[in-house]
Amino acid sequence: MSIIRADALPATPVALAVGDTMPEATVGPLTRTDFVRYAGAGGDLNPVHHDEELARNAGLRSVFAMGMLHAGMLGTRLAGWAGPDNIRSYRVRFTGQVWPGDELTFTGSVTGVDASTATIEMTVVRQTGEAVLKAAAVVRRA
Amino acid sequence: MNDDSVAGRVLETVTFPIERGKLYELARAFHESSRAWYDDGAAAEAGFDGIPVPPTVTALADHWRPGGALGTALALGLDITRLLHGESSWDYLVPVRAGDQLTATTHITGSTTREGKRGGTMTLIMLETEFTNHCGELAIRRRDTLIETGAPA
Repeated sequence: MSIIRADALPATPVALAVGDTMPEATVGPLTRTDFVRYAGAGGDLNPVHHDEELARNAGLRSVFAMGMLHAGMLGTRLAGWAGPDNIRSYRVRFTGQVWPGDELTFTGSVTGVDASTATIEMTVVRQTGEAVLKAAAVVRRA
Repeated sequence: MNDDSVAGRVLETVTFPIERGKLYELARAFHESSRAWYDDGAAAEAGFDGIPVPPTVTALADHWRPGGALGTALALGLDITRLLHGESSWDYLVPVRAGDQLTATTHITGSTTREGKRGGTMTLIMLETEFTNHCGELAIRRRDTLIETGAPA
């Protein structure tokens, strides 16, 4: 097993076997500023993600994160492990909402391999244990 | 949502650049520490022939849509306060680098309604967007399911 710098980004396929786990990552507690930063970066200006008054008037308890924020966080963590150019497909299903104050944990593991690819299943959970996102990817492997 | 004959419609086509500054903003928003996500030197040192992009880089198209990220939903007549993102998936065919220019063409591939758990009728809209690079190659194919939850009784 090679030692990889935590912030290194693999440029070539990585050796992956069934049961290998993605380095676990935790982000948060998330703030409204995190949502606004992603709104500016990614271009999602739906006011339910930054306008507290509008969100409450719509019956929500507060603003909540756009799904593409944690889908994006998971995507770069997957890329940091398997290499951005090695990802063949990435699929995310949003299963819960992310609120200000939430702390998110990103996990994943290899659930299958063939000669040249690995299937990785991933989850993003809130501090309560609730899964807010379930994801799968197929990546090229060494 | 009050139009159930939307399948097959081409929603819009938008051409947009993959800019280093936006890649830096995305890296910060994702709490990423690797400089290779936005720095030419760090990307070259890591072995890349340019700055690589996050798997969800396709979001950058939304800056260039006349109605923003909500343009699609608004064009479909969806109520944005009842709008949820159900699912997204991407197929990656050709690597994308900072400096590339992508053209995104979005089609509606289907729509359906279903009784929501909290009452009211949910509407599901399926979209497919093809991202072609400046060399004319299909680089990324993205599929999305949007959900408009039922109106409160």
